[in-house]
Amino acid sequence: MFEGGRDVVDQIVARLRRPVRIDPSLDARVMERIAALATPRRASSLAAAWRWLTEPRHVALSPLGGLAVAAGLVALALLFPTLARRPSPTIRDLQFVLVAPQATTVSLIGDFNDWDAARTPMRLARGSGAEWTAVVPLSPGRYRYAFLVNGSLWLADPAAPAALDNDYGDGSSVVTVAGS
Amino acid sequence: MTARRLLPALAVGLVATLLARRAAAQDPRLARLEPGTRALVAALVDSARAAGLPAEPLVQRALEGATKRAPGDRIVAAVRRLGADLGRAREILGSAASLAELEAGAAALRAGAAPAVLAELRRTRRQPLTVPLAVLADLVASGVPADSAATAVLALAATARDADLVEFRRAVERDIALGAPPAAAASVRLNAAAREARPGPP
Repeated sequence: MFEGGRDVVDQIVARLRRPVRIDPSLDARVMERIAALATPRRASSLAAAWRWLTEPRHVALSPLGGLAVAAGLVALALLFPTLARRPSPTIRDLQFVLVAPQATTVSLIGDFNDWDAARTPMRLARGSGAEWTAVVPLSPGRYRYAFLVNGSLWLADPAAPAALDNDYGDGSSVVTVAGS
Repeated sequence: MTARRLLPALAVGLVATLLARRAAAQDPRLARLEPGTRALVAALVDSARAAGLPAEPLVQRALEGATKRAPGDRIVAAVRRLGADLGRAREILGSAASLAELEAGAAALRAGAAPAVLAELRRTRRQPLTVPLAVLADLVASGVPADSAATAVLALAATARDADLVEFRRAVERDIALGAPPAAAASVRLNAAAREARPGPP
């Protein structure tokens, strides 16, 4: 087909450089095919918003940008100290004492244990014979409470202020835990 | 995600939220109440929650009644009254008041403190008002007239720490136990506190 050497190469180059004749109706036929394809349904704006919200994104941050963000956070914390120093409730152990020589059981019940007699049984102090005690951790606030002696007798704490908001007749007492 | 898939997900979320709200309204601790009382108390607790009031004090008041075997109507009345007191306290102390402040405010109002006293406390004291309000109620419970108790607490609250206020109340109670008239005990202790706070000649 080719006669050897350099002529062969020249002939190949000449053949490749020859322009290819294109059918003039090609563009029209391509567009016709595209128009015939099914149009994909357009997603609703709600779905688009959902996709925008849920798709993970990569955030690029330069070291300088990172420092600027950190500085901004520190400035916010300084401007709004309540954000930086959210007050943490101080829990205090409070000891409740009742002197009840005739008692066989004493329970401490109040706003801090759902008024449940089984939750905080008081213990007889060793060697006293009559002093019942219980220690309860409480955060600052005002609590109403009472003692339940032998499972049926209600007693207000004689060493504490009485609760004026006493809606049920039996006496209740108040303990106030200071926060500062 | 298409809208066709999103809508059922939203509906499920809405139903779950409603069920969670209903479950939260029906606190399992209220099972200690009789069914009729429980339904009424749960409705009151739910209403309080919807109004942005704390539900826990109402639950505790109902549980106290249950433990004391109070009649159902009395429990409902007590819960309703406390809810109203908490609402009044919040009106005066503001929506930013904490749960403890609202409880103490309700107790102070019940003790006879004027709303203006609570408002003045809110204006003058930067620290939480729980202890001043509780001390006010406790002083009244000890026999100190509400006006005298309010005067004393207002005078101390601007600068005193919580612990100082509690100590003031204890001192007044000791004096009363020793026979002092309650109003005089509060007045004397207030003057003593003022002398301690004011730097004087050596």
